[in-house]
Amino acid sequence: MRPEHPPEFPLAVHDLTVAYHRKPVLWDVELNIPEGTLAGIVGPNGAGKSTLLKACLDLIPKTSGEALIYGKPYEEQRDLIAYVPQRESVDWDFPVSALDVVAMGTYRKLGWFKRIGRTQKNQAREALEKVGIDHLADRQISQLSGGQQQRVFLARALVQDAQIYFMDEPFAAVDAATEQAIIKLLQTLNAQGKTILCVHHDLATVSRYFDHLVLLNMRVVASGPTSETFTRENLHKTYGGKLNLLDDVAHTLKNIGR
Amino acid sequence: MTLELLRETLFLEKHNTRLVVLGVAFLGATAGLIGSFLLLRKQSLLGDALSHATLPGIGIAFAVMSWMGLSGRSLPGLLIGATITGLLGVILVLAIRRSTRLKDDAAMGIVLSVFFGLGIAILKMVEKIPGQSAAGLDSFIYGKTASMVWSDFFLIAGTLAVTTVITVLILKELTLLCFDSNFASTEGWSTLGLDIILMALVTAVTVVGLQAVGLILIIAFLITPPTAARFWTNRLGYMLVLSTVIGAISGWIGASISALYSNLPAGAIIVITAALIFLLSMIFGTARGVLPRYLRHRKLQKKVGRQHILRSTYEILENTQDSPPLKNLPIPMELLRKHRYWAKGELPKLIRQARAEDHVERQPTGELRLSESGFGEASRITRNHRLWELYLIKHADIAPSHVDRDADMVEHLLGAEIVHQLEAALELAKSTIESPHLIESR
Amino acid sequence: MSKSLLLLPILFLAGACTKKNEITTDGTIVTTIGMIADVTREIAGDKQEVINLIGESIDPHTHKPLKSEVDRIQKAGLVLYNGLLLEGKMGTLLNSRKEKGNPVVAVAEGLKDVELIGDGNHPDPHLWMDISLWSKVAEKIGAELKSYDSDNSDHYAQRLAEYRKKLSDLHTHALMVFPTIPAEQRVLVTAHDAFSYLGRAYGIEVRGIQGISTESEAGTKDINDLVDYLVEKEIPAIFIESSLSDKSVKAVIEGAAQKGHPVRIGGELFSDAMGKLGTYEGTYIGMMDHNITTIVNGLGGTAPKNGFQGKLND
Repeated sequence: MRPEHPPEFPLAVHDLTVAYHRKPVLWDVELNIPEGTLAGIVGPNGAGKSTLLKACLDLIPKTSGEALIYGKPYEEQRDLIAYVPQRESVDWDFPVSALDVVAMGTYRKLGWFKRIGRTQKNQAREALEKVGIDHLADRQISQLSGGQQQRVFLARALVQDAQIYFMDEPFAAVDAATEQAIIKLLQTLNAQGKTILCVHHDLATVSRYFDHLVLLNMRVVASGPTSETFTRENLHKTYGGKLNLLDDVAHTLKNIGR
Repeated sequence: MTLELLRETLFLEKHNTRLVVLGVAFLGATAGLIGSFLLLRKQSLLGDALSHATLPGIGIAFAVMSWMGLSGRSLPGLLIGATITGLLGVILVLAIRRSTRLKDDAAMGIVLSVFFGLGIAILKMVEKIPGQSAAGLDSFIYGKTASMVWSDFFLIAGTLAVTTVITVLILKELTLLCFDSNFASTEGWSTLGLDIILMALVTAVTVVGLQAVGLILIIAFLITPPTAARFWTNRLGYMLVLSTVIGAISGWIGASISALYSNLPAGAIIVITAALIFLLSMIFGTARGVLPRYLRHRKLQKKVGRQHILRSTYEILENTQDSPPLKNLPIPMELLRKHRYWAKGELPKLIRQARAEDHVERQPTGELRLSESGFGEASRITRNHRLWELYLIKHADIAPSHVDRDADMVEHLLGAEIVHQLEAALELAKSTIESPHLIESR
Repeated sequence: MSKSLLLLPILFLAGACTKKNEITTDGTIVTTIGMIADVTREIAGDKQEVINLIGESIDPHTHKPLKSEVDRIQKAGLVLYNGLLLEGKMGTLLNSRKEKGNPVVAVAEGLKDVELIGDGNHPDPHLWMDISLWSKVAEKIGAELKSYDSDNSDHYAQRLAEYRKKLSDLHTHALMVFPTIPAEQRVLVTAHDAFSYLGRAYGIEVRGIQGISTESEAGTKDINDLVDYLVEKEIPAIFIESSLSDKSVKAVIEGAAQKGHPVRIGGELFSDAMGKLGTYEGTYIGMMDHNITTIVNGLGGTAPKNGFQGKLND
């Protein structure tokens, strides 16, 4: 075990490189996510944010490096983790109901061949209630709005009662009410001591939502508590020359009193 | 085609009819079942590629067995050859996908056509092998459906049993695989393993079907029933059952027709039957068919139009009178026309509709007047509309000037039950409320 | 650069044109089926090279010509084929050669005093099943050879006469052995309708599972009808064909067995193709000898096991 990545970190990434067809997407990523943080990963499009999550979860092969969950490889720690994929990674035209999808979070504990029973269905309903859409339990998922679909995914993660939550763009293209509901839920989970890692796209809400921040552009530009990391200089290094945009952001930062 | 023949065929009185009809029905059921998962996994084309890739295996197996001195036409040997090249085709697709930039459908298309062409070429070449009769090898393409024998049927029934058992056992695992393979993977399910099981079942159905009904029919069986079933339901369980049933019925009807008339090859008729069922499903399927969708749309339009005309009339009355209680007076058509947007020819049609429901009356002066029941109905609709407007303002960040448009659409989906909830939530005593924004004539 | 590119198609066309004029015949005689080839060889002796395209165990109804076969036909001095739509998938090729004025002759068509079985549009092409008819075809082949190669006219005339004598002997033999089949069992059931001429010539009823052409697939009703027929007539044996799959025959046997009437496979017949080249059965006479012997013995009659010349293998 390397000294810089002691086993108490929920997520420790060391020397991670991921390349598709010889083009590197992530390069020498070094990262520790501390226990109990609500962490955000931001960066420009194509910066490798989704790839980082997927590589940590063994969804895509690592070209080199490792990612450890509390000091152990992912396969040994599945029980501790819940994953919320990007909403568009799934065809919402699939013939299942919201309840069916949430119940999928209980499959692992059930194991092979067993069917879901009343216990699992109740757990699923509870989770749907927590995200505020229990009245939509029997609705076909194609008839749900974008925000409702995102809540279904969240409920599925809730049902797993995990310690660490990996979320890929949970706030992308959802309505304001859903966004509020989601962040409230995440904060509740965080208050219970869970560690949450979100790929995020909206710079304007970064400082409001996350206490820990990773700025990623193929390499980790900066990572640490948001107050220290979310600076104009770091943003410039991450996003390159879009100064006007950054000026606006910096202005907003000033107004929020950072 | 006599009545006696019809009875004989329906009751499967003849041995050959029995074998063919039941055999093809079972095969259709199996293919419909496993084909559904292929469809949901979005790998129908892969199943297609696999089926086509079995063809060279038959020719190669024939050649190898002949060379080894065995009978070239030994069935188990041919089927093993078919399985090997079928799976090889699938592996090739996956390899192309991984190592080149070609997209899925290009990779599958290439493998499909190359293997099929290769198969035909090899079958032609093995004809020339001296001493071995390659006669009838190309029946693997078109099938000899009517010539089914007991051993064929046995194999088919066995495949149906095995497929059903496996599918029931790992139903939730397969569903998860098809819906969200990434999530499945993070949860520790071997997506590769499940995909292999799926492909293995597809291979089994294909190979078993190959020597009974031919390649073309099996391919049709794998794709047509599931896509037809999808039009009738939005629930996975129902879709699986329906697809199985449609596969079985296509086989049953097709084979029966072939038993009723001379010179009708069973394989072709079955494919046509399946295609017809698909067409009917696409048009009439209750969940997603073209016709039901259209009818539902028309119904909604009618409902919306009805509420528009009643509410408009009511609002005009409010506008033209100063003091409550509202009196039910006739209103000039011009006011109605200008009150809101009407599509071309819509207003007269809606008036006719409302008159048919006895909600409005035409005055001799040409003006329009609500009937007693119409007045009550218009009042109720207007009240609902304004409730919703208020609700949206109080509970969502939508600026007042946008409310009317949204409310119009959503209101029509509310229904009486939600209205009661809204009333309770907003503690209303009055039967009508003022609209929270100015109603201007447009 | 672009100018020289323009020259390419022109050169190509020029090349193609010259190529056409260079095709000359190589003096071979090309036949489609073995039955014609064998007869032609018997008459021609060593004076001509005869090349046959569709070999043993291959179905002429569905055979699609290979490139090598197309070339052979293009280069042939004389092409002899059956006609009457037997070579189902070669029709366009043969007709186009004929239209260009090359010697391409349908030996089974246009024979005098021959009544074809079947209706006007789809006559039965399997003339070789009646040895007396095939003898007339041999006569026509002889006439073609004479006009193709008039130098050896006398040679051909003599060999033709000798061959026709042999055919006549075989025909007589058939006329004698077929009646030995018990009357109620005189029904020949095979995979496809190839034997109608044989039935007419030698007094035996024939039924096939598939129709005249094997391009059509048997339907369930066709199989049912045949099963009923076999059971009703109590026919003891049904025959498979060397150029077809035996699946449909097996299905019919199973159906009849279910009805309590066991039917066995009486033997393998040569219907659209002859036996192995180089063997006795690989000649027209041997093929028919085999067929006659197998059918007669299979249906309960008596025919000498080694055929009419004693040359058949058991």
